[in-house]
Amino acid sequence: MLEIRNLHVSIGGKPILAGIDLAVRTGEVHAIMGPNGSGKSTLAQVLAGREGYTVTAGSVRYLEQDLLAMAAEQRARAGVFLAFQYPLEIPGVANVQLLRTALNSVRLQRGEPELDAMDFLDTVKGKLALLGMDESLLYRAVNEGFSGGEKKRNEILQMAVLEPRLAILDETDSGLDIDALKTVANGVNALKSQQRAFILVTHYQRLLNYIVPDRVHVLAGGRIVRSGDAGLALELENRGYGWLIPEAQEETRP
Amino acid sequence: MNTQTASRYRQALDAIGASADRLASRRQALERFLASGLPTPREEDWKYTSLATLEQAEWHAPEQAPKTVVAEDYPGTLLRFGNGRLIDADPRVVQAHSLAAHADAAPVTRYLGQLAGRIAGGTALAQINSALWRDGLFLHVPARRTLPPLFVAHSASEADAMLHVRNLVVLEAGAEAVLVEHYRGSPDLPYWNNPVTEIVLGEGARLTHLKLTEESVAATHTGLAAVQQARDSRYHALSISLGGRLARHDTWVNLDEPGAECQLDGLFIADARRHIDQHLHVEHAAPHTASRQTWRGIAAGRGRGIFDARVVVQPGAQKADARQSSRNLLLSPHAEIDVKPQLEIYADDVKCAHGATVGQLDEAQLFFLRSRGISADTARALLLRGFVAEALTLAERSGLAGWLEPHLAAALPLPEKEYTA
Repeated sequence: MLEIRNLHVSIGGKPILAGIDLAVRTGEVHAIMGPNGSGKSTLAQVLAGREGYTVTAGSVRYLEQDLLAMAAEQRARAGVFLAFQYPLEIPGVANVQLLRTALNSVRLQRGEPELDAMDFLDTVKGKLALLGMDESLLYRAVNEGFSGGEKKRNEILQMAVLEPRLAILDETDSGLDIDALKTVANGVNALKSQQRAFILVTHYQRLLNYIVPDRVHVLAGGRIVRSGDAGLALELENRGYGWLIPEAQEETRP
Repeated sequence: MNTQTASRYRQALDAIGASADRLASRRQALERFLASGLPTPREEDWKYTSLATLEQAEWHAPEQAPKTVVAEDYPGTLLRFGNGRLIDADPRVVQAHSLAAHADAAPVTRYLGQLAGRIAGGTALAQINSALWRDGLFLHVPARRTLPPLFVAHSASEADAMLHVRNLVVLEAGAEAVLVEHYRGSPDLPYWNNPVTEIVLGEGARLTHLKLTEESVAATHTGLAAVQQARDSRYHALSISLGGRLARHDTWVNLDEPGAECQLDGLFIADARRHIDQHLHVEHAAPHTASRQTWRGIAAGRGRGIFDARVVVQPGAQKADARQSSRNLLLSPHAEIDVKPQLEIYADDVKCAHGATVGQLDEAQLFFLRSRGISADTARALLLRGFVAEALTLAERSGLAGWLEPHLAAALPLPEKEYTA
């Protein structure tokens, strides 16, 4: 579904990603871990189509399309979803308005009819329950006055409503207490399917207790320095990232 | 002012043919106006706005019979004025009248001209209105009566006419009213609208006052609202300025007695080559008075917007509470917005806060919306809607949002692409 080859990305002339190779198949859950500043969030943003990044080399294929040639909204309509590390507040725009406008944009692309207000509400109510969110959050301005946990849950709600093919969660676990973390993880697990893939970007192993990944990759210095199964995450939890960094510098090691 | 222009104004007064005694006070106002002339950018309050085009044009008092420009359904009772004169009035309204027809009524003789006279700046424009007004709204709500929403629609349909509408609103103690003023004109028609509205609120009276300005693209609008508030009265105003080549709105509020509160909200959209200037002045003249201002401004194209708001807390006005918020959005590199919030505090136990920003659409917010599948144009439109929403809470609360909606939808500009921050 997603194939990243030799991806090099810089911001304002400063290289951030220095040759990422990653293949994600439908139904898989991949975790991307790594220390701060390793380029994890940059990778997530570049995949979602954020402007301001320069791809200096490499390619990204998504469902047989050149992902990098697509605008952010085209990617979203083709099924790519990014849950933001820092969800944005949009004063004056009600959550329900965002969700409905977004869903209808995506449905239009899929050739499905737009949902009217009533049908939309039926759709969204089930998703709210799944995430333990109160219906009143629909009528508040997007993320305005939301707690940290509510903001993260709101990202997952958007994901649940849009039903993406490839969901990228950028540090969705950061800043969550254990109950909120479980709620978010339950929401993600409920959406797991053979038609959908997940990329979990995270600094900590904690989230992976609740969402078990098929593959774990460690990003350091803009490259994937090690890949493994879920056991790798546990090893990182015990040993930290330090033991992997020198390895990254000795690039010839197998 | 040159002799030719002066004689044009004198002719306009002759054309009105007022009764002899009122003619004397009109002449007096006219001579004061001719002596001072129109305000110029040399005056601090007019620093950003030149009335040179008014000075040059050859204005005349309207001659044509009044007619409405655009038919519109208003969700309330309606008074319609055309070219400054009453066309018709909803028979259900008993408290709203033609000011000209009630010039001898007690509240009119008592209050007319009193408030406009208290105002320091912009007097010249109030003087010429005092000299040349023909008609306007006289709204008198008796004590403890509540008036259903009243719409007053003003339309202009005569080229090069100057319209000096005069309105007087008196709410006796405990009275409540919702008043909507709507100003518009024939498309592309040049004219000058110079309305003066005096508002007297008795003890505990509550007025919600919405002013929607949609003048023609060639029109000039200079408007003054002067408000006097007694103890525990509430004045909630929302000014929405969407049209006109040049629009200047002056609002003066005197919080004369303890417990008086005002909320002065507004939205302006200065697109194309529009110039929209709003001046607010609030005098906290008594203790325990409160004022709130929530403003949103948008400038696009080569538009220019000005928000100049002064709050004065007089000595002895302890426990005054004044808050100002002005947020402004530039949608084009050629647009300009000048913001001048001013607090003058002469009492020591007060709560005053102001915040003013001028910025561009936020690129991060735009990306967030696009990452949800929303097109860039729709995302910009959503952000604009969100931006203006906070200034429009009064419309929501008073049930006028639905009526306002199509007017706003037609006026919100699409931001130029790639112009974000």
